[in-house]
Amino acid sequence: MIDIYGGQRDSLEYVMKELEEGIRSFGESPEDKDRALYEHLLCRVKSEESMIEKCERKGLAAEPYSALRVITDAIGIRIVTGFLDDVYACRDGIERLPGVKIYKEKDYIKNVKPNGYRSYHMILDIAADAVDIDGKKPGRFFAEVQIRTIAMDSWAALEHKIKYKKGLKNVELITAELKRCADEMASTDVSMQTIRDLITGK
Amino acid sequence: MKILLAEDEAELSRALKTIIEHEGFLVDLSSDGEEAESKAKENIYDCIILDIMMPKKNGIDVLRGIRSRGDRTPVLMLTAKAEIEDRVEGLDSGADDYLTKPFAMKELLARIRSMTRRSASYNQKKLSFGNACLDMEIFELKSINSIRLANKEAELLSYLVQNRSKDCTEDELFEHIWNGNEEIDQGIVWVYVSYLKKKLQAVKADSEITGDRKGPYKLILR
Repeated sequence: MIDIYGGQRDSLEYVMKELEEGIRSFGESPEDKDRALYEHLLCRVKSEESMIEKCERKGLAAEPYSALRVITDAIGIRIVTGFLDDVYACRDGIERLPGVKIYKEKDYIKNVKPNGYRSYHMILDIAADAVDIDGKKPGRFFAEVQIRTIAMDSWAALEHKIKYKKGLKNVELITAELKRCADEMASTDVSMQTIRDLITGK
Repeated sequence: MKILLAEDEAELSRALKTIIEHEGFLVDLSSDGEEAESKAKENIYDCIILDIMMPKKNGIDVLRGIRSRGDRTPVLMLTAKAEIEDRVEGLDSGADDYLTKPFAMKELLARIRSMTRRSASYNQKKLSFGNACLDMEIFELKSINSIRLANKEAELLSYLVQNRSKDCTEDELFEHIWNGNEEIDQGIVWVYVSYLKKKLQAVKADSEITGDRKGPYKLILR
């Protein structure tokens, strides 16, 4: 198999760990678990197989430049929060991390996708203490971050399963019903946030 | 229950007020069309009784003004016997019922009871306000984004939409949406108003509910 990351795998792992630690530093408070900004923090470097497959799907040459400079999700992070406002608190926390610049961001919570998908997406441009594919240090790396609530996350998980299920009948009906579920869950997210605000007197 | 009575004959008007209030309703009086229109705009009524022949503005024009604002309050027209054209025009302009003068008091009271009963179950299926739409059949609130509301949220929003730009007191909302149920804490109104405030933002509606804890609340276009 070709080395799609051009010997950069270790650098990617290192940059991801640094980013993960940065997020933990503002998102978790060891003394008081209730003050944590999120419930789950998941990190992964995309597997070589998936990256090659993605290059091919996008019509790109399967080579390190495509994987690390054109495609931006070699490093992927997902933050799953309990509450809606915490999504934005996490976003702001990431923006303040040293060496991290927001390259692109999309708010699919305020601009919901037609199928009902909700999530906050960021592409980060990171200057890290590691050699990048251009041989530079500090090097330049990209990472993609998805931030969403537990409700949005569980919806996305089911939608993902259905999307790749072959031979499904009543696709339109199921798509419409999934959209309804997304809208009901979003409604509950807003209600839960409101209740928390009422309790804390915000 | 509150009723607006627009009738320019002072004696008749006073007599009607006394009798209707005796039945347990509250009555606001207007002696001309313009006054009736401004009262209907400012206050929430469970029923409006309009005489057709009134100074300054006739009853049909007042009715058209009320309906053009999306106000679905039941309206009873009072007409003289010969005025068939008026009755047709009144009904076509959105009146729910009419009564010809002279009428029996008993009949007027029965019609008021019938109309206020109907209004309790009256629900338009789709209500539009600004860039948003509330579909009462599936409880969907839709604007740029869409969201599904809970039963009471939808009823409350529907009430606020139908009475848009009017102050709605917490007592009125509790009375109409929760039927004044004594087992429920009236603080529920503020909780549900708070939900709706945020949900209107979540779908990016160009309207908002104003008012703080305890009300009064009002739906307005931003």
